[in-house]
Amino acid sequence: MNTETQKNEAEPKNIGNEKLPQLEMPFVRAPERVRTIFLVILFVACGPLAAGIVIFGWRALVVAIISVISCTTIEKLYYRITRTPALLGRSHAWLTGVLLALTLPAYVPWYIPLIASAFAIIVGKAIFGGVGHFLWQPALLGRLVVTVIFPATLTTPFANFNNAAPVLAQNKIILGDIKAAKHVEDYRQWHRIHPGSVADAFIVTRPKAILAGLTSSEEPVYSGLNMPADIPRAKSAVLKKLPPINDLIYGVRPGSIGETCAIMIIVAGLYLVYRNYVKWQLPMAFVVSTWIMLAIVPIKLAGPNNTIEVTWFPLWSQGLAAGFTYVNYQLLSSELLLAAFFMAPEMTSRPVTTGGQVLFGIGCGVAGTLFQLYLALPIAFYMAVLVMNTFTPAIESMWHPRVLGKRRFEWVFKHT
Amino acid sequence: MFLRRYGTFTGGIDLPDEKNDTISAPIEPWEPIESLRIPLAPFGKIVAEPIVKALDKVTAGQKIAAAVDDSGIDIFSPLSGKVAGLTVASVPVGDSFVESTAIELTHLSKPAGITPVREKFLWLDADTHTICERIAAGALTTHRQPVMLLTDWISKARRTSYTTLIANVMENQPYVTANHRLLAEHGVEVIRGLAILGKAIGADDIVLVVDQRRTGDYLELVGPAQRYGVNLTALVHKYPTGADEILTKVLTRQELPPESDAMDAGVALIDASTCFAVYRWVACEIPPTGRVVTLSGENCERKGNFWIPFGVNCGELFPSKNGQLPIHGGPMTGLRCSSDSVITTSTDAVLALETDHAAAPSPCIRCGWCRDHCPARLNVAELNDAFELGLIEHARKASVMACVECGVCSYVCPARLPLAKRTKQLKRVIKALEKRIPLFTKS
Repeated sequence: MNTETQKNEAEPKNIGNEKLPQLEMPFVRAPERVRTIFLVILFVACGPLAAGIVIFGWRALVVAIISVISCTTIEKLYYRITRTPALLGRSHAWLTGVLLALTLPAYVPWYIPLIASAFAIIVGKAIFGGVGHFLWQPALLGRLVVTVIFPATLTTPFANFNNAAPVLAQNKIILGDIKAAKHVEDYRQWHRIHPGSVADAFIVTRPKAILAGLTSSEEPVYSGLNMPADIPRAKSAVLKKLPPINDLIYGVRPGSIGETCAIMIIVAGLYLVYRNYVKWQLPMAFVVSTWIMLAIVPIKLAGPNNTIEVTWFPLWSQGLAAGFTYVNYQLLSSELLLAAFFMAPEMTSRPVTTGGQVLFGIGCGVAGTLFQLYLALPIAFYMAVLVMNTFTPAIESMWHPRVLGKRRFEWVFKHT
Repeated sequence: MFLRRYGTFTGGIDLPDEKNDTISAPIEPWEPIESLRIPLAPFGKIVAEPIVKALDKVTAGQKIAAAVDDSGIDIFSPLSGKVAGLTVASVPVGDSFVESTAIELTHLSKPAGITPVREKFLWLDADTHTICERIAAGALTTHRQPVMLLTDWISKARRTSYTTLIANVMENQPYVTANHRLLAEHGVEVIRGLAILGKAIGADDIVLVVDQRRTGDYLELVGPAQRYGVNLTALVHKYPTGADEILTKVLTRQELPPESDAMDAGVALIDASTCFAVYRWVACEIPPTGRVVTLSGENCERKGNFWIPFGVNCGELFPSKNGQLPIHGGPMTGLRCSSDSVITTSTDAVLALETDHAAAPSPCIRCGWCRDHCPARLNVAELNDAFELGLIEHARKASVMACVECGVCSYVCPARLPLAKRTKQLKRVIKALEKRIPLFTKS
């Protein structure tokens, strides 16, 4: 294992005839190893996965198993075929497999996790030289590739229903088949719907799509934060058409396996922060910058007489009550939390310094908001993380903390 | 106890203490001693030449080697015995053991340990000049790295107009308790020695820094400290508070620029063992022939704090187990003993630790823990890249010279990379290049 590093250690660099001594210090080491880190993150990522299995049924488990097994097998095959030594064993391959499963919907056919794992392992990780060297988060790269190759399969599983995806019925959790889904008229919330229904799952419009109506011109009359004056007793659309916020917090909304259950992701993410595997600054910068962006950037609202108004500051332009609801629904109805707690803090592809991580998080939040609101990408925040991963080396060379005994911001003058 | 509380610093780590075996073990004389090899070059160059011949009989405290020149020191025999001849011993200089000529003594008497003696010299009324002369007359060296002649240390400290003398008894490193026991048992002598050194260098402030958790053991020092004008200070337990740069920063609120000496900033750092030796020589006329050493570690059978004469072979202290040589100094910054290394003035501990050599380093996963815990706030991951790619100029721009060599980065590294070693080697290379290439100017 890792013969190159050992060879480097055996030959100390000598300057002229001054021999550099071989130092062994320190003689005590902290118990945590790289393998421990990956296995703990893997264990923690099983939390959102379990929530996904409960909400989306046994097909989620199948997707996860296919993804983990194919990641491990492909990595093993790659290293056997190219005759390079495997780096760090299999723990990171398992982790990549689970993270990839978290980003995939439960209703995908079996070949999609397989193809995604192949791209994640080979393109995302192996050709860069394995763990510690890759530029982009491998699981997100796999997710991006399958989104590009199979856009229809992933975003519109039921051809008749645009922007809708299934969720298991309340009495069919874990064991229900998510592909046997039924459309329900005037679906309001996951609780207390259709007690006589025999279907395993319901086709539910994505909350993200309902919110996107606010910013597009598809349904100008009914999509405003406030209604036109000639519909006097209408509630604002945010409150009227969206499911209750409980559904979003517990995760019973259409989406990928791991990205829906907000409360589980937050608890798992806080455990990672407690273990010091994730610095709190990065998810914090990510979420807060997204929140601020959503509060500021303009959206299209229905004006009087079927016109469309572009309104800045949606947080307070229509009153704080509607504004807060809009912003919070935007946060909870996307893949933001999973990206903030599990994808962006992937150790190799984020900056090392704390300031760099804050910059990285802010970049992710800003880019993700713009992608979601104006480009309507299906995986806006994953894309934002990948984009910012590209800039990680630039951030690393740009941001230097003040070194002991040097002036503040000395690097600004030194490095130009 | 009136203790002033000071600030802390970014980074650092709370190391496991591992001191329970020796923290309350009283200082005992080490015996039996088969032979002594007293090095004639305790800090790298020959400072004394022997004035005894083989088969001569010597008594304890007898001068056995005289100074070669003005910068040399006299060397005294710690025990009475018989001169066996000249031999070789290894002494720690900087980051490695250097071989030095040594006088071998055999047929030794029983070591006496620290004997209480009466003061023979009224140092409190003596002026600076007399005290400096007295210190110069003895074979006194500093008991901490870098080991140097105490007269050199004094003249260096006197160069600045305002001097703070700091006696560092933090002992952050795991296992090491030698200075703590010395302060707990012979604290008054240590404080008097500190006061003597303060007079010698004309210090304006004298500070004795102890660990916050050990203050209960030093209660009887409050009176003498006030009597001799020593400020007792307790700092929080966090490694590496004991490092020179960090201690200077915490106590005097000035950050030393990279590659500068604390002495240039008017801060003279010393440890309890040196103060004790200074007191014993200046006031009681007992030559420095030994020091308190902590013996500990997982493979150590006889743990404790012992008064060990200089020149005892480190390998003699432990029965050899699984072929691993003991560690000289604390576990964070210590050195692996060679087979003929001996106890010298800078030995505060000899540890028999189980070190894991089978664990090969794996590639850096950029977790950033090295940077989080670096007390100098260096981006150690970047320096590691610079080392692996040989980008020396890049490492210098990343301020590698500000490294305080505490070893925290290696300690926390989950990939088991030898980061502290690599950083030290980068520093070494940059220093060598600056010496050789004139245009490789200082950053």
